[in-house]
Amino acid sequence: MDRRGFLTRTRKKTPAAPNTNFAARSVTSGAAPYTGAWTNNEVIHLLKRTMFGAAPADVAYFLTRTTSEAVDELLNSTTVSPPVRDYGLIDIEGVLYDDLGVAQGQTWINDPNTASDPEAIGSINGLRMQSLMKWWAGQIINQNRSITEKMVLFWHHHFSVQKENVGDFRFLYMHHNLLRVNALGNVKQLVRDVCIDPAMLFHLNGFLNSKRAPDENFARELQELMTVGKTGTQSYTENDVIEAARVLTGWRINVTPVPGAYLEASEHDMGTKTFSSFYNNTVIAGSANGTQEVDALVDMIFNADETAHFICRKLYRWFVYYEIDETIEANVIAPMAAAFKAANFNIKPALSLLLKSEHFFDVQNQACFIKSPFDFIVGAIRELNIPFPPVSDYQNGYPKFAAVYNDAARMQQVLFEPPDVSGWPSYYQDPMFYELWVHSNSLPKRAAYTDNLVNSGIIDVRAIVNSTSNPSLPDVLMNDVTALLLRYPLSATSKTYTKNRFLTNNGPDSVWTNLWNSGNNTVVNTALKDLFLFLMNLPEYHLC
Amino acid sequence: MNRRKFLSNTVPVVTLPALLNGFSFKAFGASPDNGLLSLLNGATATDHVLVIIQMYGGNDGLNMVIPIDMYANYYNARANVAIPQSKILRLDGTDRTGLHPSMTGLQNMFNEGKVSVVQSVGYPNPDFSHFRATDIWMSADSTTDRFRRVKTGWMGRYLTEEFPGYPDAYPNAEMPDPLAVQISDFPTLTVQGNLFSMGLAITDPMNVYNFVNPFNDYPLNSTPANKELRYLRVVADKTKIYSDKIRAAYLNASTMASYPTNNYLAEQLKIVARLIKGGLKTRVYTVSMGGFDTHKKQVNASDTTTGNHAQLLKMLSTAIVGFQNDLQQMQIEDRVMSMTVSEFGRRIKSNASLGTDHGSSAPLLLMGKHVSKGVLGVSPDIPADINVVNNITFQYDFRSVYASVLERWFCVKQPELDRIMLRNYQSLPIIKGGPCGLPDDIDVVNNQSKELTLKLWPNPYTTSATLQFTTKGGHTSIQQFDTEGRLVKTLTDKEYAAGKYNIDIYNDQLPAGVYFLRLQNNSLQQVLSVVKGRE
Repeated sequence: MDRRGFLTRTRKKTPAAPNTNFAARSVTSGAAPYTGAWTNNEVIHLLKRTMFGAAPADVAYFLTRTTSEAVDELLNSTTVSPPVRDYGLIDIEGVLYDDLGVAQGQTWINDPNTASDPEAIGSINGLRMQSLMKWWAGQIINQNRSITEKMVLFWHHHFSVQKENVGDFRFLYMHHNLLRVNALGNVKQLVRDVCIDPAMLFHLNGFLNSKRAPDENFARELQELMTVGKTGTQSYTENDVIEAARVLTGWRINVTPVPGAYLEASEHDMGTKTFSSFYNNTVIAGSANGTQEVDALVDMIFNADETAHFICRKLYRWFVYYEIDETIEANVIAPMAAAFKAANFNIKPALSLLLKSEHFFDVQNQACFIKSPFDFIVGAIRELNIPFPPVSDYQNGYPKFAAVYNDAARMQQVLFEPPDVSGWPSYYQDPMFYELWVHSNSLPKRAAYTDNLVNSGIIDVRAIVNSTSNPSLPDVLMNDVTALLLRYPLSATSKTYTKNRFLTNNGPDSVWTNLWNSGNNTVVNTALKDLFLFLMNLPEYHLC
Repeated sequence: MNRRKFLSNTVPVVTLPALLNGFSFKAFGASPDNGLLSLLNGATATDHVLVIIQMYGGNDGLNMVIPIDMYANYYNARANVAIPQSKILRLDGTDRTGLHPSMTGLQNMFNEGKVSVVQSVGYPNPDFSHFRATDIWMSADSTTDRFRRVKTGWMGRYLTEEFPGYPDAYPNAEMPDPLAVQISDFPTLTVQGNLFSMGLAITDPMNVYNFVNPFNDYPLNSTPANKELRYLRVVADKTKIYSDKIRAAYLNASTMASYPTNNYLAEQLKIVARLIKGGLKTRVYTVSMGGFDTHKKQVNASDTTTGNHAQLLKMLSTAIVGFQNDLQQMQIEDRVMSMTVSEFGRRIKSNASLGTDHGSSAPLLLMGKHVSKGVLGVSPDIPADINVVNNITFQYDFRSVYASVLERWFCVKQPELDRIMLRNYQSLPIIKGGPCGLPDDIDVVNNQSKELTLKLWPNPYTTSATLQFTTKGGHTSIQQFDTEGRLVKTLTDKEYAAGKYNIDIYNDQLPAGVYFLRLQNNSLQQVLSVVKGRE
């Protein structure tokens, strides 16, 4: 491959290098509202992409709505209660300490962690962090019929604050809550708040940025990763990075009495900041008055046409597919960006347009998404009715949420620890994108996970099959079970192979019907378990 | 006749255009070779193996390889974590440098001639983030602009050059085994190729993977779902095929030496030794250990030779000794070399928590029967008036070590070498009597380095100064770094005839402070600390 071309080509225009056997994809459907069939297939497609898994009850529920109603309902945001202390006494080298700041079951998010023995404060901070991790996993598992949890994770990917860089975890909760509260809100407001959010100030060195020694880290990523991007033909200049860094000098963090950020005038560059023609030669005058300069900077950035396009492209890759060619740019990204701008950067109209579009439901965009670890794990939990406590039941719930958090971590999706300032490479790393989730070590882990669900009886396979339309007929059973488990349809030949192998033992259909009706549950249940093991072990199972 | 030598004068040297930011180390005398070899045959015939030992967290190199000749300044900079001078382990042939007292095993190996120490390995403009710095070491690309960085690993590029057409054309008769094996939860950037990882990440060689993958009846048209399904099927297939090979090789050999217990690096190396002995033709293995991010309690206050870092170094040292003994008893010692890497060293000055914060350059260790015994380079220059931001300026770019491993252990020729490394790097004498026929004497190189002149007067200087240097001819560069390792000026970077030269410095626009000048002349270099005073 020509390395120069590889390095310099713009991502916007050029699709990933095609595999030997595959011509470039060509999808011409656009933003016009989808008016086609509204069946299990379309509902499951919508739910798999906007939630974690398509639970049968949710599928049944949305089947009774129209496409438009279903999307509108999914775009309603939900609210949650904060994480609580779930830990008891803390054992440090044989000595027991209590968290004197908050009682078990109470939230710690407003407690400065100063009441307890100094010896224990570090451990308490760590335990609070762990409760936050479990709590978030619990929210994902217990999600309502809403796109909220997928959007919270999207914004985490987008801003990518790593817990490693934030010492006091109250700030990490504040940051998470900012993403959560604004998950379906105004993106411009969100970006503006993130600019002076303590966790972000820690994460990208904003708290070190001073007029004497400007630190460009955040100013650069703000433009490159969060708003304008470097994908357009026109882009901001290096000097724009320097000037933006000057705008953002002097923001410092208060730990007490109220945790938050403030502008330290003596560290702030009061000079005039001048930007390039990309930003219409904007001039921002020095001001020691709180957020005045930050507001002006965010206004300027969102006035740049590319910002709306860049954010819509990222949403497209999160919900649809990773390849964006010129046709899709014109037919889908441009209308999304227009809707986004027209709504003064409220995100809902753009999402609504995308999720209701004929492009979103285009058959070419179905079953091509490789499940992320959370799609994979929580999808199985929700689709196969694995019971979990509600988030409020911290005593029973948090340990189970921790197990899910750890399962996802083993498969390389760690909440609060995205691998890079640009988030998870599966959503930006050309050429592999989603494929990066699956490799020689993660595939066995995924397989072991589903094997264990079936083998250890965590999934009640018999109950699932009992609820299908007519389990005594092997063809009907095959259709119902594959529709539940697989988005990539098995061919008729493959279905027959599977039926013969697991249900009829290469005999006539009546072999299975007679067995089903015989009441020999041991044999029936073993056959069904083997069938589920097989289907969930197929490469097809990883697609959604 | 040596084919390499036969070919070496027939084709002009190919140099890469400067595609990326960073050092423009261009020519170096040792091996102006060519690409004909790769046309004559496919993969280079070699049974050599490289084992990369990754130390995650940033190893405190200053307490691992301790500068005895700088002891006063060393102690002054980090009294609360400093190793007492009397406890430092001495190394044969040098009184300038010693090892941490918990590394008696490696001390013995060094004295037996099986360890090479490369001093102050780093790169210009060091990054202090674990994530980014790890990526830089694994990709061998420190380009700041994200969109101009390569997305592949240095070993991934090497394996791509050697085994084109992976994965579809593999396994085959020539290469029936995994190209690389990582004892790891996930494939790392080190072995990433353009489209696929060139390696196989495993955590248990005995695992049997029974992926079901029976269907291939999907249409090969262009739908995205088919493309992704094909990918998933390839991964399932290769993982199954290669894990069977790994298991077979593992069962085909037994551990022969004794390894330390409760040592997970040793457990990983034990697997690697069995896989090599068991017959895998795999060329690259990676293993790792974590815990080196010693911001606090790096040492015990009561005895700085004990504590977390001491335990880590003991784990490292005893695991490596066990591995080397195993290789020797298996009679495959000739085939294997190992190398330690860590994303950065730590700050010269310690902090108040008995620890050290993220730093830059650090020593790198090479182990094996064929490494050049000795210490390449000099002790790092530790200022007497130490400041918290002071970092160790690099003497050797880590990519020069990589390039030298490729060139001198795997016999990679030009222009492949420059393609893999993205540009040309210094060639270092780190393999002795190696198969690739390149000069290998560390002492000669060290002595020649000392013979070079690098002087600045006045020093300290204010507005104007004169820099004098000598070169033995060929490519010569002088770069100026600040105390944080940032490249602030390139004073010269071109071809010279052998001789003595002066460069006049006038009004260089740099703020007052301490700087390091690094002279590089082919495989030689020298570092000089200078002070710019206030006017």
